[in-house]
Amino acid sequence: MKTPPVYEITNLKHSYGRQTVLSIDHLIVRPASIVGLLGPNGSGKSTLLRLLGLIEKPTHGTVLFNGLVVEPFSDAARFLITMLPQEPFLMKRSVYRNVAYGLKLRGGGRDMPARVNEALALVGLDGARFARRPWYALSGGEAQRVALAARLALKPKVLLLDEPTASVDAASAQLIREASLQAREELDTTLIVASHDLQWIYEVCDEVLHLFNGRMFGIGHENIVFGPWVELETGRCGKMLADRQQLLVSSPPDHEAAAVIAELSISQKGTPRDADDWVLQGTVTRLNLARSTGKLYATILVGDQTFTVQQNLEPATEQTIFPGKTVFIHYFPNQVQWI
Amino acid sequence: MINKTKNMLLMASIFCLTLCLALPLWAEAGQTLLMATTTSTDNTGLLDELAPVFQKDTGIELKWTATGTGKALKLGQNCDVDILMVHAPAAEKKFVADGFGSDRREIMYNDFVIIGPQSDPAKIKGKAIKAALQTVKAQQAPFVSRGDNSGTHKKELSLWKAADLPIPEKEGWYIQTGQGMLATINIAAERNGYTMTDRGTYIKYEANMGGKPPLKMLVEGDAVLLNQYSVIAIAPKHCAKAQYDLAMQFVQWITGEKAQTQIREFKLLNKQLFTPNAK
Amino acid sequence: MEFILDGFWQAIRLLISGNPETYSAILATVMVSSYSIVCSLLVGIPLGFCLGYYDFKGKKPIRTVVDTLMALPTVFIGLLVYAFLTSRGPLGNFELLFTLPGIAIGQTILALPIVIGLTATAVESMDAKLRITIMSMGANRRQLFVSTLWESRHAILAGGIAAYGRVMTEVGISMMVGGNIKWHTRTITTAIALETNKGQFGMGVALGLVLLMIAFCVNASVALLRRRY
Repeated sequence: MKTPPVYEITNLKHSYGRQTVLSIDHLIVRPASIVGLLGPNGSGKSTLLRLLGLIEKPTHGTVLFNGLVVEPFSDAARFLITMLPQEPFLMKRSVYRNVAYGLKLRGGGRDMPARVNEALALVGLDGARFARRPWYALSGGEAQRVALAARLALKPKVLLLDEPTASVDAASAQLIREASLQAREELDTTLIVASHDLQWIYEVCDEVLHLFNGRMFGIGHENIVFGPWVELETGRCGKMLADRQQLLVSSPPDHEAAAVIAELSISQKGTPRDADDWVLQGTVTRLNLARSTGKLYATILVGDQTFTVQQNLEPATEQTIFPGKTVFIHYFPNQVQWI
Repeated sequence: MINKTKNMLLMASIFCLTLCLALPLWAEAGQTLLMATTTSTDNTGLLDELAPVFQKDTGIELKWTATGTGKALKLGQNCDVDILMVHAPAAEKKFVADGFGSDRREIMYNDFVIIGPQSDPAKIKGKAIKAALQTVKAQQAPFVSRGDNSGTHKKELSLWKAADLPIPEKEGWYIQTGQGMLATINIAAERNGYTMTDRGTYIKYEANMGGKPPLKMLVEGDAVLLNQYSVIAIAPKHCAKAQYDLAMQFVQWITGEKAQTQIREFKLLNKQLFTPNAK
Repeated sequence: MEFILDGFWQAIRLLISGNPETYSAILATVMVSSYSIVCSLLVGIPLGFCLGYYDFKGKKPIRTVVDTLMALPTVFIGLLVYAFLTSRGPLGNFELLFTLPGIAIGQTILALPIVIGLTATAVESMDAKLRITIMSMGANRRQLFVSTLWESRHAILAGGIAAYGRVMTEVGISMMVGGNIKWHTRTITTAIALETNKGQFGMGVALGLVLLMIAFCVNASVALLRRRY
């Protein structure tokens, strides 16, 4: 007996007025997985989260939750899915009543104070000190933590986070990250996170979805480079990087298209492997370990452009890559794809 | 949580209590007679003197609303009041002839006077009314008019006609205020100009100014300056709901000896404002 | 100019001496404006909330009409109400002309567009994240409606205060519909009109200051309410 995916989206299009902001052919989210959404502002991340959170109904297409067709206010879903918006936002009431709001909707119960305190503790807030505080007497970070606590108290099956650490201080960001992961650990909650925090995304996510201009592509760790593209000296197309290196690509379909570079590899020496191989020199800035896959990812800075390259553990130890080391990355400009 | 509910209940009950306390004021006890009169009559304070006595004598509470003559007549015509006390004989007679009013009784009179600055720049003091107005026009002295179709205003217009002069309209020296008598007098004082007022209001004005008004009486005494006050009961044939019997009680009372004496003895600054002349 | 200072002292004297005419006018003003504000809030808040909350055809034209009605001159409303309440008019049988309830009707008409318009604005300016938050907590349609209403309470209250200010200080309706009858329908504002017409400017100022004090008391208690909730 196969358990249905948490989400299944087919032929989804969402428009505001005449502008289509999201267009996804097919997407499946597996139960208890952690999915990352990456993409620049305006790529449709928030829209996708709102549709998955059943805040809005897509203009075309369906959202299947646990195999059932759902829409906003569906009884089958509303107690199970919760979404945390980007900017900290609380209702005009005390911290306690903010956290208890969802619990009351589900019938309350005599253990409500205990559950509220438990949720506040999860985000590092002392219930005794914070419960009575009014909504306007909190810092941005504290407010976002309370908002998260309110959602964690509901023990949701799906937790959608829209840039949860973008508008908060570093300490709160850390607490938020940890609390989210803890929920996943203890409750098998499915997490879908949109974030610019590449490091965290690569570190925790089972899958990373890239969004650009409302379209989704790549379920992996592709590298995307944005234009504008110019004709370089050798007559080939590409982009000048800050350190005067040239990033070569195949012919772009238009001036503003984004290039997807897969199949990057690292070497110590920098000798081209064949005629089509293009080499860039850069510095390793970070090494991340992906929890789920056990793979190592190196972030390499070339000029002003960062690339993320996957490594297998053993070769990495052979090549002794570490942050600060100068390395070379190889790719085939002919195989650059466009979106 | 429980505290909050208690709080709200407490406030709600205080609010309701206050409203309940106020309720008795909504209820009107006893008989009331509704009168429409003019602002100048009301401003003299005569009705404030007469009403309590009337109530003591008959048990009827007199309520009155003070507006311009035109509106008072309109209120009568619309059956919104039971009785009128106005001073525009021509319009009153038409009112009765049209069937809106049934019993018209003259109750008192005073006269109109022309007042102006002590210095009297146009030199009209002591003149007959005709000559005075002609001088005002010739000198283009500032003249302030009620301009509101009231009894006083209609009287003023008739005086211009009687002086063989065209009724002023857009002339720069002719100021139409569209307001009550005291307000008009004040404007005349501001502009150092002349105006026509009834003696009763002038004496009230004098009293307001502590006996030292900037405008003085300059022209008086002409027969044509007579200002006759009457009461008119609204015709029951025209208005079924008019309290005709209460109105007639007032008519009887105010034309009676007691009220007429009281009118004669009504004084401001020791000056008599009205002369009773009920027949 | 002296009448302004004059008026200030007169105001104190009137209040302390318990001047019956003044207190009668105060009571009339407070009663009639409270009645009309309660009615207009009870009717206007739900209407205004629905106007702002829901999307429907004709929403914009209705909104424009409401905004236009906010600028109705009080004498005009007074005239219209008189036409209905006059003895020969459609509502003449209720004998509401020259009574405080009659004035309250007119003042409710005055306050309604203000309450409706400002409530609608209050709802529309609610943060978009409110909807996300409430729905994320698992609310159904009804709970979303009620919670949004409660969340906009401060802005709605501000609209109520604006309407109350307009109602308490108007003259046109009180004059036309009330008749400024001493002891019965003489409110503070009609009393001010009367006194200034008589040239008693000092008295006018005094009454104006009394009105200001009442407005201050009301606003102070509302401010207290606001802080608690």
